[in-house]
Amino acid sequence: MIEEPYRWVEAIANRREYIEGQLAPGSPIAALGFRDGVLFLTLGQTRQKLFEIYDRIAMGAIGHPGDIERLRMAAIELASTEGFTRSAADVSLRRLAHYSLSPVMKSAFEQVYGPPYLARMLFAEVGARPEDDLILRVEYDGEIASNSATYARARQDFAVLSGTQQSVEMMEAFLKTEHKPDCSFEAAVKAALNAWSIGHMLLQAGDTKELPGHDAITQHCREQLAVAAIEAAVLDRNGTTTIRYRSLSDKELRSFISD
Amino acid sequence: MDRPQLGFDQDFSGAAGDFPSLLRRKGLLDSAVAGQMPQNTMQPKAWQPTEATTILAFKFSGGVLVAGDRRATAGNTVVYDRADKVLEIDRHSIMAIAGVPATAWEMARVLEHSLQYFRRTQLQEMSIDGKVRALSKLLRDNFGFVMQGVGVVVPIFATYDGNSKPEARLYFYDAMGAQFEATDYAATGSGSPAVRGILYYEHNWGAKPLHKLKEDEAVSLALRALDTAAESDTATAGVDRSGKIFPVIKIVSRAGINTLPDSKIAAVFKEMVA
Repeated sequence: MIEEPYRWVEAIANRREYIEGQLAPGSPIAALGFRDGVLFLTLGQTRQKLFEIYDRIAMGAIGHPGDIERLRMAAIELASTEGFTRSAADVSLRRLAHYSLSPVMKSAFEQVYGPPYLARMLFAEVGARPEDDLILRVEYDGEIASNSATYARARQDFAVLSGTQQSVEMMEAFLKTEHKPDCSFEAAVKAALNAWSIGHMLLQAGDTKELPGHDAITQHCREQLAVAAIEAAVLDRNGTTTIRYRSLSDKELRSFISD
Repeated sequence: MDRPQLGFDQDFSGAAGDFPSLLRRKGLLDSAVAGQMPQNTMQPKAWQPTEATTILAFKFSGGVLVAGDRRATAGNTVVYDRADKVLEIDRHSIMAIAGVPATAWEMARVLEHSLQYFRRTQLQEMSIDGKVRALSKLLRDNFGFVMQGVGVVVPIFATYDGNSKPEARLYFYDAMGAQFEATDYAATGSGSPAVRGILYYEHNWGAKPLHKLKEDEAVSLALRALDTAAESDTATAGVDRSGKIFPVIKIVSRAGINTLPDSKIAAVFKEMVA
């Protein structure tokens, strides 16, 4: 098959279609930079989706739990050995994603006889200032999308991950207008929750090109909060300890959104 | 450029959460030397304790206080007068070391990373017993060096867990890795006999037992004890009055670890010790 370029391309396309189908029902995750750090937020019923990778790095993922676990372990292992042999300051998300994760995921995806990674990941590294925050989305094929400026658009202070491309686009469109990088924690929680609701609605609704109205978002959000728990984590920008990751309990968060 | 470190081992499952074995697998940590002791032709030397320092720890009303002087020595030479021998391992654990600094600091680094690696990979905090054992294992692995006369480390480990009973926990070790839980106080290093005497006396016949002391009283007791140790032990600095170098004092409590600033120690020193 490898000797026949056409069939290889076909195999890759089939594989892509299969993986996209597997990832499609994944609950969205939003990562928002705010004044005092970076907030990760999602809603879910069952398994944990947000993880601590290193002192200033967090990860959120959707996909097959076994693949997420392997990638999470690899990321922690790489960051820990780097932090141990050099120093914590030498552990960088940019290097971790670009030099280690992306090449491995790409080759797993393209070697059509082996299994690909069924996972999509969102990483964030909190910086000393909001403009130093780095947020990356790493796809199952090793593709990396970052929040930094590209030719097509200005730098963003957020990144999202969801089951479908359309859901991602709508969440981004919402956050582009509704999220301010220097906002408070409360404002970030609200924006993230609304972005999640939009992403989740889009997973179910299918083809819409317009953002749902404010009332529809609130309604959907309330319905979902009744059946699912909020999972969230913060990377503190100004913490006194070296470990900046802190997971937030459902109860703690509900006190912010009661009104 | 050494890329292997960034290598991505797909077959590895971190399920055991054991950081030292990960380091060994990557060739970043020497394997345990026990069992391959060099057949040294030298006469077995008389045991020479080289843990030249004074470390003390005791439980008081506000948690566990751990204090250490700041002198590092080689033989009868003072090498360094600002050494920090009271090290934070995680949010609620302190390891204080007497012994060879190179080995001790490396051990503290391995332990610190081990606990974090465990928490991150296993998604739960390591239990107190697990932490205590982890340090014991590092000491055990180091015992080959101890037998060769280099690298002896005798630490104290203090930790606080709101869910355990008692909440404040204090352990001391011997060079082979045996762990002993202290109910009230522990001391290690060459100046420890004097300190142990003081703490025993204070606890039994002092104004009040150690666990009833308030923070200022606890700090002044620690300073007095270290100064007493320094009086007869040249390897212990106590309080350097001319250089304004104060011992390192850390307190671990439910809220986490509090490193007392020099200004605070200086104030207590001036009022209650000097």
